[in-house]
Amino acid sequence: MKRTLITTLAALLCAALAQPVQIGILSPLTGAAAGTGQAQLAGFELALEEINEAGGVLGEPLELIVEDTQATPAVAQAAFEKLMTEDGVGIIAGGYSSNVTLSLVESFRTFQPIVTWIGGASSGIGIDGFDGIEELIGEEEWFFHIHPWDYHNVTAATDYVASTEAETVALLHEDSAFGGPGAAAAAGLLEDAGLDVVLRESFTSTLLGGSGDFRAAITKARATDADMLYWIGYDSDVVPLTSQVRELGYTPEYIFGAPPGWPAEFASSPEAQCVTGLIGFLPNLPNPEAQEFTRAYRAMHNADPENYMAALAYANLWALADAINAAGTTDRDEVIAALEAGTFRSPMGDWSFTDSEITSHQGFGAEMWLVFQYQNGVREIVYPIEKATAPLQTCN
Amino acid sequence: MEITLLIQALVSGLLASGLYALVAVGLALAIGVIGIVNFAHGEFFMIGAFLTYQLAVSFGLDPVVSLLLVAPALFVIGALLYRTTVHYVLGAPELNQMLLTFGLGIILQNVALLVWGGDPRTVPAIPYRSASFQLGDVTFGAVLVGSFLVSIALVGGLYWLLLRTPTGRGMRAVAQNRIGASLVGLEVDRTYLLTFALSAALAGIGGVMIAVIQSPTPMVGLTYTLKAFAIVVLAGLGNIRGILWASLLVALSESLVANLVPNGGSLRNAVFFAIIFIVLVVRGRKGGAA
Repeated sequence: MKRTLITTLAALLCAALAQPVQIGILSPLTGAAAGTGQAQLAGFELALEEINEAGGVLGEPLELIVEDTQATPAVAQAAFEKLMTEDGVGIIAGGYSSNVTLSLVESFRTFQPIVTWIGGASSGIGIDGFDGIEELIGEEEWFFHIHPWDYHNVTAATDYVASTEAETVALLHEDSAFGGPGAAAAAGLLEDAGLDVVLRESFTSTLLGGSGDFRAAITKARATDADMLYWIGYDSDVVPLTSQVRELGYTPEYIFGAPPGWPAEFASSPEAQCVTGLIGFLPNLPNPEAQEFTRAYRAMHNADPENYMAALAYANLWALADAINAAGTTDRDEVIAALEAGTFRSPMGDWSFTDSEITSHQGFGAEMWLVFQYQNGVREIVYPIEKATAPLQTCN
Repeated sequence: MEITLLIQALVSGLLASGLYALVAVGLALAIGVIGIVNFAHGEFFMIGAFLTYQLAVSFGLDPVVSLLLVAPALFVIGALLYRTTVHYVLGAPELNQMLLTFGLGIILQNVALLVWGGDPRTVPAIPYRSASFQLGDVTFGAVLVGSFLVSIALVGGLYWLLLRTPTGRGMRAVAQNRIGASLVGLEVDRTYLLTFALSAALAGIGGVMIAVIQSPTPMVGLTYTLKAFAIVVLAGLGNIRGILWASLLVALSESLVANLVPNGGSLRNAVFFAIIFIVLVVRGRKGGAA
């Protein structure tokens, strides 16, 4: 009787201790950035299914508590505090939008969960009077930034621009925390690379309430007759901007855009021809991890992983699962140590955390970016040369 | 060069005012005749854009052809929403009416998100999207000119309907005195239904145009709802005739600031908020004096 009682109590105690690991997800599932948020969710869902099929985390199925930020600081703030106080999660993953991330920094610091953040590129380094995410976070041990910083993006873009025959650049950018610092960094690096930035002009993105009329900025760019039109904006700006460039008769040799994503079906639009852009992942990447990820993603979501945030979210969740399993516990310090020490899987190949300019846990950097070009309805990789699937074409 | 830039700015502003007027006039109609502030107006616009996109992707329909299908579709959607929701809050406090239409707008955004996803979509291969013609050094975008002409024709048609037809006279009568209109035999509820449906159809046509000009997303309506409100406030609530002038003022101000001020593209929204601010302050002072 006594043995039965002890066995029962022990079983109950084990059951109580073996709580599934819960990770809080913050992502803009509705609102202006819902496309990116939905892509993130799709990547998390695929990783979650694979992780749980592979035995879960610490022997229990991993669970996600997903909260919608709507890409709005106030909503994100409430969602984060709910995850901290109501759900009691110790790990936060996901994230998108520099504006939202900037608004969350002090809340992160208050609660100090482990944060593995796949969005938010605004660093702030080199811009007087502006503290970006990287500057505000500093060297906090609990913050892991997976997305490249804006200077990584600009370094990759500048490398590409310098490889072309362009000598003059007209730089148009949206005016929020994404495009403003990005343009400042781009202008500096382009000048350093020997190019002449003949115009720097801002506009309001359609994502943030702009009407999509960029004719004024394009008219000013046309007047410079620059060899390259380089613009930083969001994916909803792509169609109006590229069509108005043609409408106004501006014919630069190169058109380079740096939005986080590209609109669906844009490839088949005539305005897409010869437009180049940065992307972190493409389904036609030839490495085996990319092919396997694309196959599994198609099987689960019946679509291609067109937005690279799906690949980053997938890498994010697998890194957390692998780190917790390697640590053998959810103890905060031990998971942080495992994240610092580990090498993780991703559709782009193996990766690990290293130092960035300020933070001590940076996932991907400039090496993640590919430059593609729309050529006859297909996105061909044109830079770096060793990964190119087609040579770069000029627009004239 | 400066003169050319100024003329280009004026032309762009003038042409952009057509679309603004089209979106605003539908909102003004609902406010003027029914007396309801429809916060879901921009979502009719968004649905029009997505229907245009879907007709292009599924059946290869050119947006110009889609116009003939999208406008009636939005008319029916507007009528259904009126009958199932708005109709029941006509006697409710204004705040409740606003909450209803605000909620309707959120529901429509999320329906679009479920159906079409959150990614910006592209109506593929529109041969005239980037077309333009030159007059001297000034460029006229074909889509802008087309949308301006269609918008002006529709606003003019609406004006004609209101002034010259029995249906329009009925609308005006109901707008002026709902009880009096019903006493002389006008079917007030039917007039409201027709007005709301017409307002939705006009927004839907605006949506067709926006599907050509930019990328439909579930949130695309919000920007134009704000513009429409600004224009309606400028024109005076329910003043349909004033919509044209107010649209022209907003569009021209935006265009001039964007073109002539360095980094003026960032100031477009500030321009129309500033206009609303000034108008409200000036009107408030006049009201106070009176």
